[in-house]
Amino acid sequence: MATPPLTADKVMPAILNGGPTQRESAAKPRFAAGQAVRARCFNPTGHTRLPRYVRGRLGTIERDHGAHVFPDSNAKLQGEKPQLLYTVRFAARELWGEAANPADAVYLDLWEDYLDAA
Amino acid sequence: MASDHDHDHDNSLSETVLRVKALESLLVEKGLVDPAALDAMVDAYENKIGPRNGARVVARAWTDPAYKARLMADATAAIAELGYSGAQGEHMVVVENTPTVHNLVVCTLCSCYPWPVLGLPPVWYKSSAYRSRAVIDPRGVLRDFGITVPDEVAVRVRDSTAEIRYLVLPERPAGTESLGAEALEVLVTRDTMIGTAKVSAP
Repeated sequence: MATPPLTADKVMPAILNGGPTQRESAAKPRFAAGQAVRARCFNPTGHTRLPRYVRGRLGTIERDHGAHVFPDSNAKLQGEKPQLLYTVRFAARELWGEAANPADAVYLDLWEDYLDAA
Repeated sequence: MASDHDHDHDNSLSETVLRVKALESLLVEKGLVDPAALDAMVDAYENKIGPRNGARVVARAWTDPAYKARLMADATAAIAELGYSGAQGEHMVVVENTPTVHNLVVCTLCSCYPWPVLGLPPVWYKSSAYRSRAVIDPRGVLRDFGITVPDEVAVRVRDSTAEIRYLVLPERPAGTESLGAEALEVLVTRDTMIGTAKVSAP
Protein backbone atom coordinates (compact mmCIF):
# COMPACT_ATOMS: atom_id res chain seq x y z
CA MET A 1 0.00 0.00 0.00
CA ALA A 2 1.27 3.44 -0.96
CA THR A 3 2.00 6.15 1.60
CA PRO A 4 -0.41 9.08 1.18
CA PRO A 5 1.60 12.10 0.01
CA LEU A 6 -0.40 14.38 2.32
CA THR A 7 -1.30 13.47 5.90
CA ALA A 8 -3.71 15.45 8.10
CA ASP A 9 -0.96 17.13 10.13
CA LYS A 10 0.61 18.51 6.95
CA VAL A 11 -2.58 20.05 5.50
CA MET A 12 -2.52 23.48 7.19
CA PRO A 13 1.26 23.95 6.70
CA ALA A 14 0.84 23.04 3.01
CA ILE A 15 -2.06 25.50 2.63
CA LEU A 16 -0.18 28.27 4.44
CA ASN A 17 3.01 27.77 2.41
CA GLY A 18 1.31 27.48 -0.97
CA GLY A 19 3.44 27.20 -4.09
CA PRO A 20 4.96 30.52 -5.17
CA THR A 21 5.74 30.74 -8.89
CA GLN A 22 8.08 33.75 -8.80
CA ARG A 23 11.73 32.90 -9.51
CA GLU A 24 15.01 34.76 -9.22
CA SER A 25 16.10 35.98 -12.63
CA ALA A 26 18.91 38.16 -13.88
CA ALA A 27 17.09 38.71 -17.17
CA LYS A 28 16.50 42.36 -18.05
CA PRO A 29 12.82 43.12 -18.77
CA ARG A 30 12.23 43.58 -22.50
CA PHE A 31 9.33 45.95 -21.87
CA ALA A 32 8.76 48.94 -19.59
CA ALA A 33 5.58 50.46 -18.13
CA GLY A 34 3.74 52.53 -20.70
CA GLN A 35 5.25 50.70 -23.67
CA ALA A 36 2.96 49.57 -26.50
CA VAL A 37 2.93 45.82 -27.16
CA ARG A 38 1.04 43.44 -29.40
CA ALA A 39 -0.04 40.04 -28.14
CA ARG A 40 1.28 37.36 -30.45
CA CYS A 41 -1.10 35.29 -32.50
CA PHE A 42 -0.38 31.60 -32.14
CA ASN A 43 -2.54 28.55 -31.73
CA PRO A 44 -0.69 25.82 -29.85
CA THR A 45 -2.18 22.36 -29.45
CA GLY A 46 -0.93 22.28 -25.83
CA HIS A 47 -1.34 24.51 -22.78
CA THR A 48 -1.12 28.30 -22.93
CA ARG A 49 -2.41 31.14 -20.75
CA LEU A 50 -2.75 33.58 -23.63
CA PRO A 51 -6.50 33.84 -24.21
CA ARG A 52 -7.71 33.92 -27.81
CA TYR A 53 -9.56 37.20 -27.31
CA VAL A 54 -6.30 39.18 -27.02
CA ARG A 55 -4.21 37.37 -29.66
CA GLY A 56 -3.00 39.89 -32.23
CA ARG A 57 -4.36 42.85 -30.21
CA LEU A 58 -2.55 46.02 -29.16
CA GLY A 59 -2.03 46.72 -25.50
CA THR A 60 0.07 48.77 -23.07
CA ILE A 61 2.41 47.48 -20.36
CA GLU A 62 1.08 48.52 -16.95
CA ARG A 63 3.74 46.93 -14.71
CA ASP A 64 5.96 43.87 -14.34
CA HIS A 65 5.80 41.22 -11.63
CA GLY A 66 9.31 39.78 -11.89
CA ALA A 67 10.04 36.36 -13.42
CA HIS A 68 7.45 33.60 -13.03
CA VAL A 69 7.31 29.93 -14.03
CA PHE A 70 6.22 29.73 -17.69
CA PRO A 71 3.12 27.51 -17.81
CA ASP A 72 3.36 26.73 -21.52
CA SER A 73 6.52 24.68 -20.91
CA ASN A 74 5.91 23.69 -17.27
CA ALA A 75 2.51 22.12 -18.04
CA LYS A 76 4.22 19.84 -20.59
CA LEU A 77 6.94 18.87 -18.04
CA GLN A 78 9.47 20.70 -20.21
CA GLY A 79 10.81 22.80 -17.35
CA GLU A 80 9.87 25.98 -15.50
CA LYS A 81 11.66 28.33 -17.94
CA PRO A 82 10.84 31.39 -15.75
CA GLN A 83 10.42 34.67 -17.61
CA LEU A 84 9.14 38.18 -16.98
CA LEU A 85 5.43 38.51 -16.31
CA TYR A 86 3.59 41.76 -17.08
CA THR A 87 0.16 43.21 -16.48
CA VAL A 88 -1.00 44.43 -19.90
CA ARG A 89 -3.89 46.83 -20.46
CA PHE A 90 -6.11 46.33 -23.51
CA ALA A 91 -8.66 49.04 -24.26
CA ALA A 92 -12.17 47.60 -24.50
CA ARG A 93 -12.50 49.27 -27.95
CA GLU A 94 -9.38 47.47 -29.21
CA LEU A 95 -10.89 44.14 -28.18
CA TRP A 96 -14.60 44.59 -28.81
CA GLY A 97 -15.01 47.47 -31.25
CA GLU A 98 -16.41 50.98 -31.24
CA ALA A 99 -19.54 50.21 -29.23
CA ALA A 100 -17.41 49.64 -26.12
CA ASN A 101 -17.06 52.43 -23.56
CA PRO A 102 -13.83 54.37 -24.37
CA ALA A 103 -12.91 54.44 -20.67
CA ASP A 104 -13.09 50.65 -20.20
CA ALA A 105 -10.23 48.18 -20.38
CA VAL A 106 -9.32 44.57 -19.70
CA TYR A 107 -6.06 43.82 -17.86
CA LEU A 108 -4.29 40.47 -18.30
CA ASP A 109 -1.11 39.03 -16.82
CA LEU A 110 1.04 37.90 -19.75
CA TRP A 111 4.50 36.38 -20.05
CA GLU A 112 7.20 37.94 -22.21
CA ASP A 113 6.97 35.19 -24.87
CA TYR A 114 3.36 36.24 -25.50
CA LEU A 115 4.32 39.78 -26.47
CA ASP A 116 6.03 41.73 -29.26
CA ALA A 117 7.00 45.41 -29.15
CA ALA A 118 4.48 47.44 -31.16
CA MET B 1 -30.29 7.05 -14.47
CA ALA B 2 -32.15 4.89 -16.98
CA SER B 3 -35.10 6.71 -18.45
CA ASP B 4 -37.16 3.52 -19.02
CA HIS B 5 -37.44 3.14 -15.29
CA ASP B 6 -40.37 5.03 -13.85
CA HIS B 7 -40.10 4.39 -10.14
CA ASP B 8 -37.87 5.85 -7.49
CA HIS B 9 -35.17 3.84 -5.73
CA ASP B 10 -34.64 6.50 -3.07
CA ASN B 11 -31.20 7.03 -4.52
CA SER B 12 -30.79 10.77 -4.15
CA LEU B 13 -27.13 10.89 -5.22
CA SER B 14 -26.38 12.49 -8.56
CA GLU B 15 -24.04 10.79 -11.02
CA THR B 16 -21.32 13.33 -10.21
CA VAL B 17 -21.56 12.67 -6.47
CA LEU B 18 -21.49 8.90 -7.10
CA ARG B 19 -18.43 9.23 -9.33
CA VAL B 20 -16.61 11.36 -6.74
CA LYS B 21 -17.46 8.85 -3.99
CA ALA B 22 -16.22 5.96 -6.13
CA LEU B 23 -12.95 7.78 -6.90
CA GLU B 24 -12.50 8.71 -3.24
CA SER B 25 -12.99 5.08 -2.05
CA LEU B 26 -10.50 3.83 -4.62
CA LEU B 27 -7.86 6.43 -3.71
CA VAL B 28 -8.31 5.72 0.00
CA GLU B 29 -8.24 1.92 -0.50
CA LYS B 30 -5.03 2.19 -2.50
CA GLY B 31 -3.49 4.35 0.21
CA LEU B 32 -3.01 7.36 -2.08
CA VAL B 33 -5.28 9.66 -0.06
CA ASP B 34 -5.54 9.95 3.72
CA PRO B 35 -9.22 10.54 4.65
CA ALA B 36 -8.10 12.54 7.71
CA ALA B 37 -6.17 14.88 5.36
CA LEU B 38 -9.34 15.36 3.28
CA ASP B 39 -11.29 16.20 6.46
CA ALA B 40 -8.59 18.70 7.49
CA MET B 41 -8.79 20.34 4.07
CA VAL B 42 -12.59 20.60 4.14
CA ASP B 43 -12.40 21.99 7.69
CA ALA B 44 -9.82 24.59 6.63
CA TYR B 45 -11.98 25.98 3.83
CA GLU B 46 -15.30 25.64 5.68
CA ASN B 47 -14.24 27.08 9.02
CA LYS B 48 -10.87 28.84 8.87
CA ILE B 49 -10.37 30.41 5.44
CA GLY B 50 -13.08 32.54 3.84
CA PRO B 51 -14.25 36.04 2.91
CA ARG B 52 -14.17 37.26 6.54
CA ASN B 53 -10.38 37.30 6.12
CA GLY B 54 -10.66 39.65 3.15
CA ALA B 55 -13.19 41.81 5.01
CA ARG B 56 -10.65 42.27 7.81
CA VAL B 57 -8.04 43.40 5.27
CA VAL B 58 -10.50 45.90 3.73
CA ALA B 59 -11.64 47.34 7.09
CA ARG B 60 -8.03 47.77 8.19
CA ALA B 61 -7.16 49.55 4.93
CA TRP B 62 -10.14 51.89 5.40
CA THR B 63 -9.13 52.83 8.93
CA ASP B 64 -5.32 52.76 8.83
CA PRO B 65 -3.73 54.88 6.06
CA ALA B 66 -0.24 53.46 6.70
CA TYR B 67 -1.60 49.90 6.33
CA LYS B 68 -3.41 50.88 3.13
CA ALA B 69 -0.16 52.27 1.70
CA ARG B 70 1.62 48.99 2.47
CA LEU B 71 -1.31 47.00 1.01
CA MET B 72 -1.24 48.91 -2.28
CA ALA B 73 2.57 48.66 -2.51
CA ASP B 74 2.94 44.95 -1.59
CA ALA B 75 -0.40 43.24 -1.01
CA THR B 76 1.10 39.79 -0.34
CA ALA B 77 3.19 41.10 2.58
CA ALA B 78 0.46 43.38 3.98
CA ILE B 79 -2.13 40.56 3.90
CA ALA B 80 0.39 38.22 5.59
CA GLU B 81 0.69 40.78 8.42
CA LEU B 82 -2.89 39.81 9.35
CA GLY B 83 -1.99 36.10 9.19
CA TYR B 84 -3.40 35.25 5.75
CA SER B 85 -1.13 33.62 3.20
CA GLY B 86 -0.55 30.53 1.13
CA ALA B 87 -2.20 28.53 -1.64
CA GLN B 88 -3.73 30.74 -4.36
CA GLY B 89 -2.58 33.89 -2.58
CA GLU B 90 1.18 33.60 -3.09
CA HIS B 91 1.25 36.72 -5.30
CA MET B 92 -1.48 39.17 -4.34
CA VAL B 93 -2.39 42.51 -5.91
CA VAL B 94 -5.08 44.82 -4.49
CA VAL B 95 -6.99 47.06 -6.89
CA GLU B 96 -8.95 49.99 -5.50
CA ASN B 97 -12.44 51.03 -6.49
CA THR B 98 -12.90 54.80 -6.45
CA PRO B 99 -15.56 57.30 -7.63
CA THR B 100 -13.90 57.14 -11.10
CA VAL B 101 -12.74 53.49 -11.38
CA HIS B 102 -14.61 50.21 -10.91
CA ASN B 103 -12.58 46.98 -10.91
CA LEU B 104 -14.11 43.57 -11.61
CA VAL B 105 -12.18 40.30 -11.21
CA VAL B 106 -12.62 37.24 -13.43
CA CYS B 107 -10.63 34.23 -14.58
CA THR B 108 -11.62 33.55 -18.18
CA LEU B 109 -9.36 30.49 -18.39
CA CYS B 110 -10.67 28.60 -15.34
CA SER B 111 -11.53 29.75 -11.81
CA CYS B 112 -8.43 31.46 -10.31
CA TYR B 113 -9.44 33.20 -7.08
CA PRO B 114 -7.59 34.54 -4.00
CA TRP B 115 -8.28 31.69 -1.54
CA PRO B 116 -6.51 33.01 1.61
CA VAL B 117 -8.68 36.14 1.67
CA LEU B 118 -11.91 34.97 0.00
CA GLY B 119 -12.03 31.18 0.48
CA LEU B 120 -13.22 29.02 -2.40
CA PRO B 121 -14.97 30.68 -5.36
CA PRO B 122 -18.77 30.73 -5.64
CA VAL B 123 -20.34 28.57 -8.37
CA TRP B 124 -21.29 31.55 -10.55
CA TYR B 125 -17.65 32.73 -10.61
CA LYS B 126 -16.69 29.41 -12.23
CA SER B 127 -19.60 29.40 -14.72
CA SER B 128 -18.80 29.90 -18.39
CA ALA B 129 -21.56 32.55 -18.53
CA TYR B 130 -19.75 34.82 -16.04
CA ARG B 131 -16.27 34.03 -17.38
CA SER B 132 -17.08 34.79 -21.00
CA ARG B 133 -19.35 37.80 -20.47
CA ALA B 134 -17.33 39.61 -17.78
CA VAL B 135 -14.68 40.65 -20.31
CA ILE B 136 -16.88 41.57 -23.29
CA ASP B 137 -19.85 43.07 -21.39
CA PRO B 138 -18.76 43.92 -17.83
CA ARG B 139 -21.35 46.69 -17.50
CA GLY B 140 -24.12 44.23 -18.43
CA VAL B 141 -22.81 41.70 -15.90
CA LEU B 142 -22.69 44.42 -13.23
CA ARG B 143 -26.28 45.43 -14.05
CA ASP B 144 -27.32 41.78 -13.51
CA PHE B 145 -25.68 42.04 -10.09
CA GLY B 146 -27.65 45.25 -9.42
CA ILE B 147 -24.94 47.84 -10.07
CA THR B 148 -25.24 50.52 -12.74
CA VAL B 149 -21.83 52.03 -13.43
CA PRO B 150 -22.09 55.57 -14.89
CA ASP B 151 -20.54 55.98 -18.38
CA GLU B 152 -17.83 58.29 -17.07
CA VAL B 153 -16.60 55.71 -14.54
CA ALA B 154 -13.91 53.45 -16.05
CA VAL B 155 -14.55 49.71 -15.74
CA ARG B 156 -11.32 47.73 -15.37
CA VAL B 157 -11.73 44.00 -15.78
CA ARG B 158 -8.90 41.97 -14.21
CA ASP B 159 -8.52 38.64 -16.01
CA SER B 160 -6.41 36.40 -13.71
CA THR B 161 -4.44 34.66 -16.46
CA ALA B 162 -1.26 34.01 -14.40
CA GLU B 163 -0.51 33.36 -10.70
CA ILE B 164 -1.25 36.92 -9.58
CA ARG B 165 -4.47 36.95 -7.53
CA TYR B 166 -6.62 40.07 -7.26
CA LEU B 167 -8.59 41.47 -4.33
CA VAL B 168 -10.81 44.50 -4.89
CA LEU B 169 -10.62 47.20 -2.21
CA PRO B 170 -14.21 48.47 -2.39
CA GLU B 171 -15.23 52.08 -1.72
CA ARG B 172 -15.99 52.88 1.88
CA PRO B 173 -19.64 53.97 1.96
CA ALA B 174 -20.55 57.51 2.96
CA GLY B 175 -21.97 57.86 6.45
CA THR B 176 -19.56 55.35 8.01
CA GLU B 177 -16.98 57.91 9.16
CA SER B 178 -17.67 57.24 12.85
CA LEU B 179 -17.37 53.45 12.56
CA GLY B 180 -14.26 51.55 13.63
CA ALA B 181 -12.64 48.61 11.85
CA GLU B 182 -14.72 45.97 13.66
CA ALA B 183 -18.03 47.62 12.76
CA LEU B 184 -16.90 48.20 9.16
CA GLU B 185 -15.74 44.61 8.68
CA VAL B 186 -19.27 43.20 8.87
CA LEU B 187 -20.39 45.48 6.01
CA VAL B 188 -17.84 44.01 3.60
CA THR B 189 -19.31 41.07 1.68
CA ARG B 190 -17.51 38.57 -0.56
CA ASP B 191 -18.94 40.06 -3.77
CA THR B 192 -17.71 43.58 -2.91
CA MET B 193 -14.16 42.17 -2.99
CA ILE B 194 -14.72 40.53 -6.42
CA GLY B 195 -16.22 43.77 -7.72
CA THR B 196 -19.76 42.52 -8.34
CA ALA B 197 -21.26 44.48 -5.44
CA LYS B 198 -20.82 47.76 -3.58
CA VAL B 199 -20.58 48.09 0.17
CA SER B 200 -23.73 49.54 1.73
CA ALA B 201 -23.82 51.68 4.86
CA PRO B 202 -25.65 50.00 7.77
